[in-house]
Parts: sequence; structure tokens; C-alpha cells
Amino acid sequence: MISTNLNFKVLGVGAWGLSFRNGADLRNVLAGQELEDDGAKGPKPEIIPANERRRAPLSVRLAVESSWQAVQGSGVDVQDLACVFVSGLGDTQLTDYMCTALAKETKALSPTKFHNSVHNAAAGYWTISTGCMQAANSIAAFQESASATLLEAVIQAQADAKPLLLTFYDAPVSTKLRSMLKNEHAFSLSIVIAPCDVQDAGAINVSVERTTADWPALSGTPELQACYANNPAARILALAALTDAPDGTISRLPLSAETALRLQKVS
Amino acid sequence: MEIHLIDYQSTSAAGRNFAELQQSIDTHQSGLRKNDFPDIDIDTWIGRVDGLEDVELGEWQSRNNALAWMGLQQGSILSNLERLKHQYSAARIGVVMGSSTSSIDRTETAYTDLDDDGNLRVEFIQAKVHNPGAPSLFVAQHTGVTGPSLTINTACSSSAKVFATGARWLQAGIVDAVLVGGVDTLCGSVLYGFHSLQLVSTEQCAPFDQARDGINLGEAAGYAILVRADHDMTALEAPGIALVGYGESSDAHHMSHPHPDGLGARLAMQQAMQMAELEPKQIDYVNLHGTASRANDLIEGKLIESLFPKSTRVSSTKAWMGHTLGAAGITEALLAVDALQRGVIPGSKNLQELDEQLDITIQAENDKRKCHYVLSNSFGFGGNNSCLAFKNIATS
Repeated sequence: MISTNLNFKVLGVGAWGLSFRNGADLRNVLAGQELEDDGAKGPKPEIIPANERRRAPLSVRLAVESSWQAVQGSGVDVQDLACVFVSGLGDTQLTDYMCTALAKETKALSPTKFHNSVHNAAAGYWTISTGCMQAANSIAAFQESASATLLEAVIQAQADAKPLLLTFYDAPVSTKLRSMLKNEHAFSLSIVIAPCDVQDAGAINVSVERTTADWPALSGTPELQACYANNPAARILALAALTDAPDGTISRLPLSAETALRLQKVS
Repeated sequence: MEIHLIDYQSTSAAGRNFAELQQSIDTHQSGLRKNDFPDIDIDTWIGRVDGLEDVELGEWQSRNNALAWMGLQQGSILSNLERLKHQYSAARIGVVMGSSTSSIDRTETAYTDLDDDGNLRVEFIQAKVHNPGAPSLFVAQHTGVTGPSLTINTACSSSAKVFATGARWLQAGIVDAVLVGGVDTLCGSVLYGFHSLQLVSTEQCAPFDQARDGINLGEAAGYAILVRADHDMTALEAPGIALVGYGESSDAHHMSHPHPDGLGARLAMQQAMQMAELEPKQIDYVNLHGTASRANDLIEGKLIESLFPKSTRVSSTKAWMGHTLGAAGITEALLAVDALQRGVIPGSKNLQELDEQLDITIQAENDKRKCHYVLSNSFGFGGNNSCLAFKNIATS
């Protein structure tokens, strides 16, 4: 019922999480391969200067690592790329740090941890590390974080008529908050997207439908399934799964109480 | 671009609703008070909203949601949303909220009251509250708006950027109306956080003053309803205001210090004017970010000096309600809109002696004059900048 003419294609992919360390690994995992876990606790993105990298929390390092991979693979100059970051949970390790410190008799916060606690810390570190002065956004929409932000980013790319970096990331939840926010997995996926015509190779058509939807089932290992279920950013795997699906495949993602995001792999 | 505002509201220490805020502006009555926030031992002034402790929200309980709820009750926001739902359907309306704290106030409270095993008590197990998207979840739920919704969390530019996103959604045609808003509340994280950065003043803040020595924190909620210019206005008493441009940029400099030459802020202002097809000389008034920190006001003031002629009036309104962080963007955008609507340019309250390095058209007193075009600046941590351009539809 609700129709718009939004089409985009993916110019570059970056990924870091579970046992995958780049976009190619992730594609293999989605195809059912089991990759050997290298035991890494988190990425060390080379684009962040070493002194800043030491202060960067895991959530930021995840987001910046996959972002840099995606931009390098996209062929687009990083200076030209607006960016949209989405994390459904925020940095719960820093939430835990601040709330623990503030529950004490003598309250004091580290200034670095305080400025790192803003939800747009990843966007901040990214633009500072790359020198990019374009628009940067940082978004959350709880369980619909991935679908709502994909819609927002595709609309922005179309409005600006230029490519845009889009990064979905959520780190494991701190112990106390895990009683309600279940996520145990580090996950980040970045895509550089460009607005395109519907007949372009690789075009994905996006529209908003007045209907409700459940998150589509995802094939893969139990660990991947758990990540998809509990990590709000990892819900974007529903888009990644379209990559190797037949042309014409349609996927509907929950978007709001009465709408769904319809994605169609056109070609 | 032309996106119409059909209604707006604001709740802060300077007024529970927009009419009260206008009265505070007209009488130069600040809402700031000596810090009396429970369990926060910092010598400063705050913009605290009375009555939030009495709002009962059950499973949605948090101070931030209480302020979001109080803001929604003001003026005709809810009745206009009902009218729009009838006209277009609830699924054709979007919600875009901005916030920096979301409901971390509630998480802080939960941590002061852990059970014997060090776990959260059952009344605090509120997944929909303890997350950064809480404001849009809460507002969608409590307005019955069922279209796309999300929360922008870019620190102190959050609720300026909601206008840009709302405008794009309307232009893309995915919705027919958007409720944009901002809400942020005082809590330990922000008071002790800004204190740790040595940015908090022990006095009432004095933006752009030679003797300014820091910020006052405040809390606020603000809302605006946006529609496309082709919206049928016949049933409405619309205020006659349009969003005509926005700019969004990054400093690419530092997480908590502004770019020394204001490069990112300059880009945002230039983009907003370019989108609105306006020259600097056409801008009657700029509501400045003007936090009253030494760095921000000097850099922003120098930027104004280099971009605008002296005919452009500027002021910071933060001495009325404090720096309301993620709610500052919309709170101050609406004060700029009010200058268009009523012809009252708010003074830069508490300004006694302008920073001697600055030469800009700024004064403490209000200035009554007809305005056609105004801008509003909002800058946040992470070097995140936004500038909004509005016009008076009837006179421009």
C-alpha cells in the first residue's frame, strides 16, 4: 500500500564478529561453513591512531574495523562518505561503569569514559580517524534498529544522491544488564551503499508496507542464530542473506507496530 | 525544500509549555536554580523541571520517559496527532526522537538498589527502558503512532537532526506526517560527566560573556509536527512556519573539544543556507549553540563574525533553561521559530560584557523586530554539528 521508489546497491562490505573477520568470511558463514575461531577478543582497527585505539572501547573498535573494510572495498573516497551508525544496545560496558561509579558514596567519572559513553562515539572516532567531515548519524530503535536505520540510510543516500557508509554494530552486554538485554556476541557489519536505478545490476528495492512481519528465519550455526536473535545489529543479516538469494527474492523485516520493510533483490 | 510545522511544544525549567516559555522570555525570568538534585553534590546551577517525580508510568518508568510524557500533554500536540491519524492513518505517521541520555537515569537508580546477590531488582527489569532507543519506543507507544520510528543519539545535536530526518522521510513519501522531538533529563551521568571535564560553572551560565566560566545543565522535552507543503491545512491554525534547510557535518577533530576554527560548524551552517537558497545577509537571527564554555563560544562567535553581516542578530538562550543536551536542538530551534512567529528575538540572557575577542550583534535584552529567516545551531560530542533554517511563510 505504501509505495516509494527507493533502490540501492552495495559497493563494499566489511564485517567482524563471532568467527568471521571480513565480508567474505561472513558470506561463507551464511552459506553454512564453519570457520575456525581465531580466539580474538576484538578487532584492532589500524585506521584509528594507536594512542586513540588504546582508549577506544570494543563497541567503537568493532564499528570502525568493519567500516574501514567496507570503505576500502567500495572504491569511494572516505572523505565523500556520510555515515550512519546503528547500535540497538549502546555501550553497556560503559553504562555499567558509570552506573557502578555513581552508586558509590564518593562519585567520580573518568572524563574519557564519559565522552566515550555517547552513543555516537563510533561515529566520532570514525570521522576523527578518517578526517571525514560529512554528516554522521547515530541511531537506535531497539529490536527494529537494523530495519529502521536501513530505511533511514537509504532515504538519506537518495536525498543526497551519493554513496553513504552504514554500520550496524552491537557488543556483548555487561553482566548485570544481561538479565534483560541478552546479547552475548560481538557483531559488526558495514556496507557502503549507493542510490541506483531499479534496473542496475545488484539493485535492491526498498519500500514500506502497511503490514506486520516476523524476522525472517536465518540458516546457520546455533551461534549465528543466537546472535541473530539477541544482537539487534545482527538482524541486518536478513539483508546479507539476500546477497546469494535468487533474483526476485523478497524479504520483509519488522519496522514498526503497523509497518514492515520490504526488500526485494531485483537482480 | 519546504516542510511545514503545524504545531510545536516545549517543556523545560523555563516553562512547562510553550506559552509559559514565551512568558519567561518576555519577562526575562530564568528557570535556572542552585543545584538541588538529589544525591548530586556539585556546586552549580541546573534547569530542573518540577513534578517529574510524581509521574507514574509503570513498566515504562524513568525520569526521561516522565519528561517525554509531560511534554506530550502540553498544548494541542496530542489532539493534532489524533486529527492526523484520522486524516492519514496512524501507520502513515512517523516518530523521530532525539536524546543523549535516553533513560540512563533509570539504570543509575537500578544500580543504587541492587539485590543481595548484586543483581537488578525485578521492578527494574525493563528492557524497553534501558536502551538508547527508549524515547521513540515510549513516544510511539503513548501516542498510538504506528509508522516508522527511531531515536537519533548524536549527543547535543540529536534533536536538531530529527528535523533533517523528518524532512527526508516526508520528501521520500514513506509518511504523511512526522512527530519529531527531543527529550533529555538531568541525571548523575551527565552532571558528574560534565563535571569531570571541568565544564560546569558554579554560577548561572553567561554565554559569550568575557567572564563566562562554564555551562549549566538542564532538562527538556520538545515536539514539533511536520508535514509536506501540500498538506491540507484547512482544519488547522498552523503557525505559518516552514523548515527550509538543514546542514549536518562532522568536525573530524576531537571527541569533546570543538574544532579550533569551527570548520565542521561552518559546513553545517553553509549547507543549511545553501539548501534554503539563502545568503547570510538574509538571515535575521541565529540561535547559537552558545553553551557558555570558553571554547565553544569563542569559536562559534568567530564563525558568526566571519560568515554574517552585522545586521544578523545572534543570541544564546541557554541561560533560560540550561544546556538541555539531546533536547537542546529542538528547544532552541523552537525559540528561533518563535522569533519568526512573534517577532521577539530573545536576548543572550546574562551577557554583561561581550568576549573582547568577538565583534557580533548580540545583546542581553530582547529585540522586537520582524524576522523572515532564522537559523539554529546545535553541536555535539564526537564533533557532530547541525544547523536548521526556518522561514516565516507569510512574509518571505
